[in-house]
This record gives sequence, C-alpha cells and structure tokens, in this order.
Amino acid sequence: MKNLENSLKSLLEERYHHKHPFNIRMHKGTLTKEEMKTWVRNRYYYQTRIPKKDSSILTKSDDPDFRRDWVRRVRDHDGDEKNTGGLELWLRLGDGVGLNRAEVSSLTNVLPGVRRACDAYVEFVNGHSLLESVAASLTELSAGPLMGQRITAFENYYTWIEPSALDYFRSRTSQAPRDAQEGLEFVLGNAKTDKDHVACVAALTRKCEILWELLDGVEWAQSRPKIVDRARMRKNESMIVLPERAIELNSTGMEILESCNGEATVNKIAEVMRNRHNTIETVFTDTYEFLEKMKSAGALEYI
Amino acid sequence: MNENFHRPYNLIAELTYRCPLKCPYCSNPLDLTNYTETLTTEDWCSAFEQAAKLGVVHLGLTGGEPSTRSDLEVLVKHASELQLYTHLVTAGMPIDAKRLAVLAKYGLCSVQLSVQDSTPEMSDTIAGTKSFDRKRVFAEEVRALDLPLVLNVVLHRQNLENLPEIISMASYYGAHRLELANTQYHGWALKNRAALLPTLDQLKNASRVVQDSRLLYPEMEILFVLPDYYSERPKPCMGGWAQNTMVITPNGRVLPCHNAGTLTELEFWRIPENSLEDCWTISPGMNTFRGYEWMKDPCRSCEYRERDFGGCRCQAFALTGDMNATDPACSLSPHHPEIEKARDESIQSAPSFVYRDSAKKTGGQI
Repeated sequence: MKNLENSLKSLLEERYHHKHPFNIRMHKGTLTKEEMKTWVRNRYYYQTRIPKKDSSILTKSDDPDFRRDWVRRVRDHDGDEKNTGGLELWLRLGDGVGLNRAEVSSLTNVLPGVRRACDAYVEFVNGHSLLESVAASLTELSAGPLMGQRITAFENYYTWIEPSALDYFRSRTSQAPRDAQEGLEFVLGNAKTDKDHVACVAALTRKCEILWELLDGVEWAQSRPKIVDRARMRKNESMIVLPERAIELNSTGMEILESCNGEATVNKIAEVMRNRHNTIETVFTDTYEFLEKMKSAGALEYI
Repeated sequence: MNENFHRPYNLIAELTYRCPLKCPYCSNPLDLTNYTETLTTEDWCSAFEQAAKLGVVHLGLTGGEPSTRSDLEVLVKHASELQLYTHLVTAGMPIDAKRLAVLAKYGLCSVQLSVQDSTPEMSDTIAGTKSFDRKRVFAEEVRALDLPLVLNVVLHRQNLENLPEIISMASYYGAHRLELANTQYHGWALKNRAALLPTLDQLKNASRVVQDSRLLYPEMEILFVLPDYYSERPKPCMGGWAQNTMVITPNGRVLPCHNAGTLTELEFWRIPENSLEDCWTISPGMNTFRGYEWMKDPCRSCEYRERDFGGCRCQAFALTGDMNATDPACSLSPHHPEIEKARDESIQSAPSFVYRDSAKKTGGQI
C-alpha cells in the first residue's frame, strides 16, 4: 500500500494549487487589496460547497462508524452550539478585508469560472464511489502546511487585515491534518485492487485540477478584455461584425463592449455596470456571462 | 418591406469561376461553359449598393479565384465605402503582395486562404498544380499587413491522416480561425466521391485530434463538424433556404446557395435585368423552399424540421432526382441506403482522382 500513498503524495507535490501563480503571489505578499477581496468573496462559494459535498459522501457509506466520524466535517463547517463553524469564520475574514457580508453570503456575484470549478467538485462526488470521493478529499494532506504559510504571509504582508479575521486559517491548521490522516487511512485500507489505485489517483488528480481552475477563475477578474482588432462596430445597429459572424446586441451589451478597452479589468467593468444598473440584482453575473460569451464568439481577447 | 422579409446578412459574390487550381472536390457547376462573366465592374458595384440597403453586413468575394479579375481593387474599395465587412476568399494566387497591400489600403477586412494539405507534395497533388509554397508566402503577406487570416482546408480521405500537421500549420501561419470543411459531394466532388469519402475510423480519430488541438491552441478557433454522410441528421444547410445569405454567380444569377443552380426546375432571376431586392424577395426559385410548407413526410411531421430544415435541397436532387425529397443524409429518408452504401464502400481502397481544369471548355470533364 506504500505505493499508493507515495503516488498520492507525489501527485500533490506536483499538482496541488500551492504552485498556482495566484497562491504564489498571495504568499509572497504581492496581491493587491482588490485581488484579495475578489479571492475571499469567491472562495466563500467553495466553502459553502464543502458541507454539501461531505453530506453527499455520508449518503454513500453503510458504515455507522465511518458516518459518525465523517459527519464531524459537516459540523466543522456549519458550526454547532459549542463551536463557531468554518463558514462563519470565513465570513469574518470577509468582514476583515472590507466586504459586504450580505453580498458575500448571497453568492450572487460569484465569478463564473469559480462557480463551475466548485460545482464540478460536488458533481464529481455525486457521481463517483465512496472510495473515489474520499480520495478526492485528500488535498487536505497539503492544506495544513499551506495554512501555516498563509497565516505567516497575512501577518507579515497584509497588515491591513485584522489578525482576528484569520481564525478560519488557524482552525484549519489543526482540522486539515486530522481530516487528511483519517481520509488517507480509509483510502489505503479500502483501495484493494490495481483498478482501485488508478481510480484514487484519478480522483485526486481531478480534485487538483478543480482547485487550480478555481484560482484561474479568480485571476480572470483581473484580466483586461479588449475588442479584437478584426471586429468592426456598427453602432447605429448595435452590432459587432467579425470575419465569421455578426452579433446583434442590446443597449446593455453595447455598453459593456464599449468598456472593453484593454485597460479596465473584468472586476472594474462589472462594478461600473452595477453603478449604472443598481436595480438589476444579477448585474454582476449578467456582465460576467456576457463577457465570456463574447470571448467564445471571438469578439474579445484578454490582455 | 413586408413582414415576411428575410434580411440577407451575407452576400457571396462569385466573381468568376476561373481558377488556377484543379481540385478534385471542386463544388462549382459542372457546365462551366454556361457561366461567362457577364457582370461588369459597374454591375457588381451596383449590386453591393443594393445589398447594403437590403441589410447585408458581410460580403465574401470568392469564385473560382477572385484575384483573376483585374477590377478586384475597385470592388473592394467600393464595398468598404458601403461599410460592408469585406472578406476575400482566395487560393493566394495569382494575387501578389503588391495587390494585396492595395486591397488592404482600400479597406479589405479579412482574408480566407485555402490550403489543400500540410506538405508541398500532398497539397500540390490535391490542387493538381504547384501552389503550396506560394500559399505559405501569401499567408505571411496577409499577416504582415495585420489582416486577419482564416485558413480553410477541405478534408477527405487523402488528407485526414495529416490533420495534426494541418492544425499546427494553421497556427504557424497565424490564422485566428481554421475551418476544417468536410468535402460536400456536389458538382465535381460527386464524381470523385469514392476517392474522397473518409472512413468512420478516420473521422473518429480526427474528432479526437481536434478536441486535443482546441486545448493546445486556445487562441485559434477550430471549426470541425462530423460530415453529413456520417451523422444521422442532415446538415442545416445555409441555416434554411434563402433565410440570410444570397449568392450571385459570375453571370448575375441570384441564388440562395452556391449550388442552387443545379436545381434545373427552379427559376432564379438575374441582375442587372432585375433589382437585387426582387431577385431576393419575389423570384419564384427563391421562395420555393422558404419556410416549412413545401415539406413532405418524413420532414413535414418531424420534430427536427426546425433544426435542419430538411437538409440540403441540392443533395436531395443530386441523389434522388427529386428536389422536394428529404435529404438522403437523414436516416429517416427512404433514400438513406444510398448513403450507407457509399459509407460501406469507403472501407475498400480508393480509386484515383479525376482532376478538374477550369481552362478546358468541358470544365475539365474527361
């Protein structure tokens, strides 16, 4: 069984998101306030998916002992009469970086790439075996050390954030290694055949991809959309013309495209749209979706 | 204009059927002798003006090889003054760098270059003439002028194996879009069907190659669809008959698609004798297959009719002799066994090409 453990650990060394450029910058202290806020706001969506994912894992097991242990993870996030849960602690981090708590917890402004990645995790667990689902959770093996690094970085570089806002990370430094050890023992004890080994490695690989995609989704907010040079605007008809297609737009679409000057970030464009259309509740997501659609139609590039 | 008016967004101007290439899959008409270039520069300019008024946005200057016409510069200049998004569809010859630069100065918006394969030997063999090296240089000339480049490669059983090289060539040429066009068995191509029709294995492999390439070349749009001979539903030809695109042939005939001239029973009108608007809106041929009234079963009662519009009228006519029939590419067509037979025969070894030579009076017919 040592082989499987080695495979899983070297996979994490290679592909866990500690190597993602966004995390590297976070830990080097070079994230801007805006980037930090975007990350905290969006990563909360991931936090909210975790207890759902763990509840799904509970339904897969016939073993009362397993369920008794595993249900603790749901309580860790949701909290109980004794302990404040991870979700609440994350919202305090949100308060600490200056986010509007109601906006964060409403989940309406989550970036589309982040939403896709997090939903993909829940869907993965829903569609796979207990063993594979637990194997996918083993990114926890690397989470403990990452949290330590993160706390140091926050205390040293991001001094504008209240130290008390970091309680989430502190809680995870002890929870993650304990959860990881339990998960690892389960996987090593239940992966019996070669086929099981392959499936566990594949599950953890997929999970690493998901965490990576989540950060790609966060970085997208800082990219600067620009209308491609080959496009021609027909303003009187609200139309953008490309070599292979012409797209008719409504007035809001035209407004967004006119902001795509290669200088404004996705974040800024969404903010401007909210200031102008503050009665539309979904203005952020509408803007994001439109920008993604125009990208896949070949009308935008990102700088 | 009445409420039944369909806005034409695209005008495909077939300026000429002359072409330096001799591709075995040429889809231009077989009877080239009937297509003398009767339209003058003034006729084309007037057609562009009328098209812009009707709502046309895209103008494709094509052929044959459009650069065999000496008035191409005038046409591009006029079209761009009309704010038409003007697209040149070319083989990259005989046009040279100097002429291309003039076209760019006059407002040409983008260029589509056809390439036949990924190596000089294969590409020249398929084109039936030495052309690959010139095309490579032409692609450089296009990008040097900062013109957007679309690469078009017609796929068939003789070049499908080279798909990975074709895709990397397109990226190397700086194309923002690669159109991998399946051979359509019209005109000359039907004669060569047995030499061109790919096998199912080739296509499955090609699909995988395209999927991977979309990850490897994220900035290049790669267009690839399973050919209609291998899908159970026919292609939604032109997005429906005479809905958004009109074609003008070198002798002024206004058609709803490139091949509609093969439907000999239909009456299409010509410019300059008629206005472009009349050719588009009231000519009998243009209205024959608009909407769903013309359909017979299985199309009439089919849930897919609004998705594929009964498929391609020209293919239905070419294979069944009845232009009202369901496209045989559809598995619901009573003529579908004809398609299945061609597929089965594709497993056997392919015969050699019958080349086309547009300079010969017979249209290259042997």
